Amino acid sequence: MPEIAPAATPERPSAAVLGRRADDQPESPNGTRRKLGLLFWLCLGFIALVVFGAIFANVLPLPNPNLQNYSAVDAGPSLHHLLGTDDLGRDLLSRIVFGSRVSLVVGFGGIAIGLAIGGTLGLLAGYKGGAVDTVLNGASFVILAFPPLLAIIVVVAFWGRSLGKLTLIIGIASIPSLFRVIRATTMSYANREFVVAARAMGASTRRILLRELLPNVAPAALSFALIGVALIVVLEGSLAFLGLSVALPTPSWGNIIYEGASNNLLQTDPLIALWPALAMFLLLTSLNVVGDRLRARFDVREGAL
Amino acid sequence: MLSYLAKRLVQLAAVVFVISVLAFLLVHLLPGDPSVTILGPFDTPTARAEILRQLGLDKPLPQQYLTWAGNVLHGNLGRSFLTKQSVAHAIAEAFPIDLELVIVSQVIAFALALPLALVASRRPNRAFDRLAGTATFGLLSIPAFILAVILALVLAVEIHAFPATGFTSLTTSPVQNLRSIVLPSLALTAGSIAVYFRLLRSDLISTLQEDYITMARSKGLSDRYILLRHALRPSSFSLLASAGINIGSLLTGAFVVEYLFQLPGIGYQIVESISARDYLMVQGMALVVAVAYVVVNFAVDFLIVLLDPRIRRA
Amino acid sequence: MTKSRSGLAAAFPAATELHDPLLEVVDLATSFQTPRGLVRAVDGVSLTLARSRTLGVVGETGSGKTVLIRSIMGLLPRHGVQRSGKVIFAGRDLGALGERDLRRVWGTEMAMVFQDPMTALNPVVRIGRQLTESLRLRAGLDRKAAIETAVALLESVGIASPRERLRSYPHELSGGMRQRVMIAIALACGPKLLLADEPTTGLDVTVQAQVLDVLGTQQAERSMAMILVTHDLGVVATRADSIAVMYAGRVVESASTAVIFDSAKMPYTEALMRSIPRLDAPPGARLAAIPGRPPDLTTVPTGCAFAPRCAYVTERCIHETPPLTESAPGHYHACWNPVGSPEGEQAFSTNLAKGVMAAVEIAQREVRK
Repeated sequence: MPEIAPAATPERPSAAVLGRRADDQPESPNGTRRKLGLLFWLCLGFIALVVFGAIFANVLPLPNPNLQNYSAVDAGPSLHHLLGTDDLGRDLLSRIVFGSRVSLVVGFGGIAIGLAIGGTLGLLAGYKGGAVDTVLNGASFVILAFPPLLAIIVVVAFWGRSLGKLTLIIGIASIPSLFRVIRATTMSYANREFVVAARAMGASTRRILLRELLPNVAPAALSFALIGVALIVVLEGSLAFLGLSVALPTPSWGNIIYEGASNNLLQTDPLIALWPALAMFLLLTSLNVVGDRLRARFDVREGAL
Repeated sequence: MLSYLAKRLVQLAAVVFVISVLAFLLVHLLPGDPSVTILGPFDTPTARAEILRQLGLDKPLPQQYLTWAGNVLHGNLGRSFLTKQSVAHAIAEAFPIDLELVIVSQVIAFALALPLALVASRRPNRAFDRLAGTATFGLLSIPAFILAVILALVLAVEIHAFPATGFTSLTTSPVQNLRSIVLPSLALTAGSIAVYFRLLRSDLISTLQEDYITMARSKGLSDRYILLRHALRPSSFSLLASAGINIGSLLTGAFVVEYLFQLPGIGYQIVESISARDYLMVQGMALVVAVAYVVVNFAVDFLIVLLDPRIRRA
Repeated sequence: MTKSRSGLAAAFPAATELHDPLLEVVDLATSFQTPRGLVRAVDGVSLTLARSRTLGVVGETGSGKTVLIRSIMGLLPRHGVQRSGKVIFAGRDLGALGERDLRRVWGTEMAMVFQDPMTALNPVVRIGRQLTESLRLRAGLDRKAAIETAVALLESVGIASPRERLRSYPHELSGGMRQRVMIAIALACGPKLLLADEPTTGLDVTVQAQVLDVLGTQQAERSMAMILVTHDLGVVATRADSIAVMYAGRVVESASTAVIFDSAKMPYTEALMRSIPRLDAPPGARLAAIPGRPPDLTTVPTGCAFAPRCAYVTERCIHETPPLTESAPGHYHACWNPVGSPEGEQAFSTNLAKGVMAAVEIAQREVRK
């Protein structure tokens, strides 16, 4: 290594010298946290756009995603087909917009199931401690010890791969990780003054969990959830490549990429795979950026993931 | 330390037991029993009962489990209904491929992530750090299957630098073997690089704010020495934990990448067996793979304990 | 790496070293760029320290003591810090040196004992390596010699079975032991100046005395100069030759220890002294706390920084900053209405009449006595 000028020093001197701990998201001069930044809002905007498209896909002026138009096979982008068509003459934009439904339902639905069960148990275990915590925590350890992708593949392969089943399976698989994250976050709040004070005033467990702990745990949960959604979107794509995502010809991003990558289509018409891959890349980046900025803002350590 | 080790070993045993039960039940709880696969069109109730008796499937489940577990402990995972190949033998053939994939991809990942993080953490939020941060963020958002497709298209199909699919074993031709493993490894390594870089960088930055780093500076030690001998080790724990999970899941089969590159590793074999409804094969592989996953994670936990004397006492 | 000096170069400093002070700090100022604005942690401090003498630097938390000694050493973060003024150490101005050159001075000529040995010792590195690394890398000893020296060092700071201790990790030692280890590390390369930053703050009272004794003994044996930073005047009372009292980044009074305890001029020094527990105080007597808090160093007001908490405050104190003046040979103070002076007496009685909190508290104490 050449001249190692400013290495082993605290980046933020004052904090280190004055005994405060610095994180890498500095405060702005007026004492509030640094703004989330343009990129954050762009990314949030893209997520919103994808969600909007998925919800209103039926209403939007798009051709049927499964309509095979043999007069326009492997067509390039045109006014009629904004992103072109695939080898069966299906409109790619329409397939991508309809396909986003699968990614989003599996992603957000799976995480919702995981949060509803894992999050609730995590709050309870983190706050109550004791036997409840020991049992749940031990169970989560045992389950997490099992390779998750293997479990999902086996169950999906033998049980079925409708959208509902996929969402349920992935949701259940996400319970233990979300449980652990929420439990750890809850534990860091469980003995703070405001919780102790609420308990001293005789607040019920239910009230403490919902009114005192949940609002504090929610930001961290949200940022982990977004990153979790990104992981599930990738998972759906992986399953598609193994032929285990929703049955063809239903479009999903994984299915479209898979179709576009098979039968030598990559060499003849790489755009078929490229568009959905790009859409997926942008969505993943957006989810990661939003999740990461929120994490930094709420000061959740990356290691906890 | 010994008591910690003992405690973790008991945990490990418990987890392995649960895994074995799950793997065992896999065959029994799934729809359609093996007789259907074996008999095919010759399915009659009597033939079926005969098959079930032959396979010992007419006995109560706990008894079946014990028989099965006993066989497994002797290395007998049964034979494929379809190919009549011994499951243990199939695993022994497939596993080295995963091992090779893990080693090559992880060596690349560490070789890139470690120096990047060391350099970036020296000047956090400066140009290099931001550039490396953005680049790894991009890598994080490219799924392995997309990267695999792109790599195959560019490096194999267009410029023929590497074979697009297939596998040559190490003993057949070391050079061809390496060539066949490079693309899959690259596809798998991207995510690891990003995760390792981010974890190590963020832990290094917070370690570099510690008093003991200032103390080391006050001794007049060089920055390089401080970074490598004082800061790296206490900053490496989340990195190692994440690497453990990562290596574990790669060992258990990089399903999609192996499938795409037609590498006959564990992941590929499992997917093939699943689609062929080759239950015993799936069962045996799932068992071995899950145990490998648990053992790797256990080993990494133990490594962290070795590296962090504070936990050893606790 | 090693402390090799050519004969000629060594001869000249040696001649001057006998007469000049070991350390001369002139108008040292250090400020940090923080999100809340510029923090003037050290604001124009001047000091001198002769060879093998001890200077006590006393002040409350946040008065800039730690930053002062780190500024003297040059051991500051590399970004967002502005340092000005001179630090002349053994004939060289350290302020003009870059980190590369400073590193040659650190450890071998000037060493630091940190406040909290739990955080200042690397938790994942054995004591042995933390002790021998500077011996090997800085003093150029080989492995064996370094280990022998380390054992001798641990023995000299009073650690039992030192050879076994080399294999310990910091968390396996008691607080007092850890601080002894840290002292041994600081002494390893035979520095001429030891900067001790609240070396006993985290320790039990009995252990505090032991650790301070170790420091004193080592200092005498090695004829080493020392700056002992503390918030506790009691700690430096018997161990420092002279004392500098700091408040809000400035030295507000400095004199020999005897003079400070006999005739403190600065109301802040007086207040600090009242906060030392006394054996002759009646049982149940309340310790006098200084009302209020030290000022936020981002917004240092004009006038005397202590004025808002002072029993002797007058209109002038709020508008004009008192300069550090020499009232008697070697006795400096920065106050418009010094304790014991006619101005002081008058200001105090006026404030008492007006019901200024600080004045009333002092008066109540006098009455109870």
